[in-house]
Amino acid sequence: MNFKKLLVAVDASENSTRAVAYVGEMLGNTPGFHVTLLYVERFPERDTFPDEDSWRAACQKEEKTVRDFLEDSRRQLVNSGIAPEHVAVEYASASSLGSRRSEGYSVARHVLQFHQEGGFGTVVVGRRGVSKAEEFLFGSVTTKIVHSAKDCSIWVVQ
Amino acid sequence: MDKVIWEKVHRILPSLSLRDQGQVYVDTSEFMNISYGDVIALNGRHFVVIRDEAERRFGMEDPKFWVKRCRDLETEELYILKLVFHEHFDQHIGSMTIRCFRSPEKESRILELVKNDVRFMQGVTLNDTANNPVRILEMIRGRSLDSVIEDIDVDHASYFQEHFSGILKKYIGACEAVLFLHDHGERHGDIRRDHIWIEHATGRYRWIDFDYAYESTENPFGLDLFGLGNILLFITGQGVHTTHDLAALNQGLDDNLTPEDFSLLFPNRLVNLRKRFPYIPISLNRVLLRFSAGTDVFYESVEELLDDLKPCLKELGAA
Repeated sequence: MNFKKLLVAVDASENSTRAVAYVGEMLGNTPGFHVTLLYVERFPERDTFPDEDSWRAACQKEEKTVRDFLEDSRRQLVNSGIAPEHVAVEYASASSLGSRRSEGYSVARHVLQFHQEGGFGTVVVGRRGVSKAEEFLFGSVTTKIVHSAKDCSIWVVQ
Repeated sequence: MDKVIWEKVHRILPSLSLRDQGQVYVDTSEFMNISYGDVIALNGRHFVVIRDEAERRFGMEDPKFWVKRCRDLETEELYILKLVFHEHFDQHIGSMTIRCFRSPEKESRILELVKNDVRFMQGVTLNDTANNPVRILEMIRGRSLDSVIEDIDVDHASYFQEHFSGILKKYIGACEAVLFLHDHGERHGDIRRDHIWIEHATGRYRWIDFDYAYESTENPFGLDLFGLGNILLFITGQGVHTTHDLAALNQGLDDNLTPEDFSLLFPNRLVNLRKRFPYIPISLNRVLLRFSAGTDVFYESVEELLDDLKPCLKELGAA
């Protein structure tokens, strides 16, 4: 694994904003690093919408928010001094990865699969800090990545 | 109302006068308008409304205007008709607030999945003329698990000795039913001790009410597991044991209890029941502790829970 090859898993949250800013600060103007910003899409739960149209509208709105976030983050990394050809963006769509509902669908698992297949030596994730109760009820992408990742360094930006 | 239909309604509700006869609804969208004596017509079947259902929680009667108790005009069988109500609201679990949605489509899907599976309530979905999926549910003649356990009028030691292993055995079956849902990509969504009904005739445990849906999360089965843990705690303790109850018994935190002995979600609810009832086996108590504030390891699947729970049953000598 090449530790200078970084995979930054983002989700358009404030935690992700902090993670991207941190990577920019750490790597800006240092040659030899390749950064990939990865978003693994998780559809909004279809059952929480009264009909197909409102669900599709929500999916499209969320996709636009994330794509804007990815573009802003890419620009931020380039502005911090990383060569534009060394910053890649990946939007892994849920339809290509899994079902329309969330059961059995793990963002962490897809991030780790991407990490393995891409030979990334460093994985970067943001974390807001969840309580034990929240982790029990909802799970945590970051915790799962930290527990399950192999053959890499992990930066957890809090 | 058609004369033939009215005659059938009048046979079922003889006290209803012709002057007070209701309407026939083929579109159930305005469910608040549908009441006693009205008829819901769905795909050639007719159901006369007897009353709105209500849920009794914490001593309060909570009417559910979208849930109608009805009789089939042809067979005169009782049914529960659930009409479409796309409600969303905040559910409070301990200090946490969770956005919850009512999804008729989810419930219809699960009814289809569990057709002829007696571990679940049974029913079919018929669409009205506005394409609302109306769920026609068979009545379960029985009582909720919590009311049955609350009525076992013996002390805990006798309860644990004489009743518990039989209850646990059936509860394990109920957990397996939830695992079946998960294996098919579904969640129950509202696992509570009054959502298991014990059928009078057979003693079977049967799950009811599958229409709650939640946002996507990284641990999709967390809420169901939390519910299963709460019920396990209830059946093991023959009720809930709070700090308030313990104080009354002069067994408060000043004794050998610590905050880690209490629920992860409800800090006043004792989970480490072995400290209160020392004859509870360590293996069973260890399962309970996975739901306590002191745990560092959580169950992520019902399978994991069952792997730990089934040996407890053997230990109790009921397998």
